[in-house]
Amino acid sequence: MYSFIEPTQSNQSLGDDGILFVRNEGIFDTMVKTSLLLASMIIAAALIPIQSSFSSPRDLDLIIYPDGSTHISTEIDVDPFVTDYELNLFGSTIDNLVVVGDNEFLLDTDIIHDSVLIQTFGSSIISIEYDIHDLVSKQGKLWTFSLDSPSNFTLLLPQNSAIVGMTNLPINMEIINDQNKLTLPSGKTEIDYLFSNTISNPIPDTETETNYFSYAIIGGVIVIVLIGAVIIIRTKQKNLKPVNHNPIIEKNNILDIETIFKLKPDLREDDKELVKFIFNNGGKALESELRKKFLQPRTTMWRAVKRLEREGVIEIEKKDLQNLVKLRKNMEEEE
Amino acid sequence: MKKLAVFAIIVLIFGTISPSLVDRAYGQSDPSILLRIAVQADKQIVNQLDRVYGDQIPNNLQILYDKGHRAVYSLDESLPNDIEKAKQDFLLAMNSFMQISRTISQSSEKVVVVTVSDKSNRHLTSEIDRLEKYVKTLEKISKKYNTNVESDFIKIYDLIQELRIQINDGYGTYDDVINEIKIILDSVKNDIRESAIKQKSDFIKRFFDRLLNQVDKILTHAQDNDVDQIQIDKAHALILEIRELLSKNQINDAKVVFAELKGFMEKIGYPIRIT
Repeated sequence: MYSFIEPTQSNQSLGDDGILFVRNEGIFDTMVKTSLLLASMIIAAALIPIQSSFSSPRDLDLIIYPDGSTHISTEIDVDPFVTDYELNLFGSTIDNLVVVGDNEFLLDTDIIHDSVLIQTFGSSIISIEYDIHDLVSKQGKLWTFSLDSPSNFTLLLPQNSAIVGMTNLPINMEIINDQNKLTLPSGKTEIDYLFSNTISNPIPDTETETNYFSYAIIGGVIVIVLIGAVIIIRTKQKNLKPVNHNPIIEKNNILDIETIFKLKPDLREDDKELVKFIFNNGGKALESELRKKFLQPRTTMWRAVKRLEREGVIEIEKKDLQNLVKLRKNMEEEE
Repeated sequence: MKKLAVFAIIVLIFGTISPSLVDRAYGQSDPSILLRIAVQADKQIVNQLDRVYGDQIPNNLQILYDKGHRAVYSLDESLPNDIEKAKQDFLLAMNSFMQISRTISQSSEKVVVVTVSDKSNRHLTSEIDRLEKYVKTLEKISKKYNTNVESDFIKIYDLIQELRIQINDGYGTYDDVINEIKIILDSVKNDIRESAIKQKSDFIKRFFDRLLNQVDKILTHAQDNDVDQIQIDKAHALILEIRELLSKNQINDAKVVFAELKGFMEKIGYPIRIT
């Protein structure tokens, strides 16, 4: 390695007048080479987006129907100076193909195996829509969607479907007409999903989460007002004589244990034990306490708790990242 | 100059990697979606295990579930501060749940792999939904070309309505109705294409004109390179034929001859490439 410009100071070559001279050998080379390097890099950088803009989808949207067939719609930039454009489809079982060019001009197509030859007529953008049956397979009750996508894409899952496994990190998720819509990155993706009547789908929307901040502000204001009110009331109470009364405990609102069992005669014996423990614990208990008390593994206890929730005996609340199990107060009314 | 070069290089490097940075940033915009998906999957797996095995969950599945469930808890704790850890937890959880659901589906009584293209497994509502979407796409295109196909679309929508009633009732001549719809749709597509070609004929003619001028230049070049004159003449004859067909507005025929010309040019080693 060597530098093209060497400082003259190092060679002690100051002129008689004290003028600093710079050795000019190699300066021309340096300037030309640097300029060429720069120019070539700029050209290369400018070409990259042009090359990648052709033949790469601008948008890729997929809708999965309940039978596993998938509707695909995509927009692609194509070279306007060619007559034909060959596009690889995501499979070979294609239905309802429509390709339109600029100004919604319907283009002629020929499907050859898993690709389509489109007569573009000089269009610069083509929109393609088709249905395909190759992307989803089913085994037993499990449905699996597989795709190797050249670009990011959106995927609208069917109603009442729940994801039970996936290989990629989603970019985003939103709710469209009670259906989960995922935005996924390019590359290979596999998603397993199930249909169930008991699914509490769709998964709560992003908006709900983002609204938490505003809820927190409103909640904060309410809490401050309540604290102020409590302080005022307590200050006033200090001046009054204490009155003996039985503390009102939450248990008063809960049905007694025999009534619960009468209302739910089909409860399993081990579940009844759980209910008794919760009742005696003031009507609520942490799931972890239940596990310790009954020496049950996490999954078994979780399933028991879920069973009781389905029966309408208890309700589950989140408390400090733990499940707080509470006996329901309005069981009788529901019955 | 050196500083300028360094600056330019930094700009170029940043410009090259910035799209990926944008993508990553977008992916992290709302990491709580990872937790929501994982929690939902966890619940589903618990339901599945409960339904299929009751209290006697096979040991391997129990281990897998515990692994996935721990990952969901860890994901909950990682958010919102440790995004990278959250991503790892998410993938670990979803991978564990995926293995469980696949094992359950393989070991369940119905171990038949069904491809969704299997006609015996058809889901008529989905089929009609897809068909209706296709009809709407064509209807939208047809409006651009002032085609006289409105009555056809009314008929198609009536038939779709009839199909839906038949499905609700649980009996009917589904295939006959679907075939009828498809026949009308083919006719509509032809009408649209014809109408589109009429409206676009000028554009297509200009496009061909540009192409044929280019082919002329390629042929001149080929002639300079001593390509057989008979072949050059044949190519010129095809060009002439295309121009004549275009002047008579016979676009489809012109396209056929152009395809022949294209093949011929490739055969003589001078493919049509316009850039």
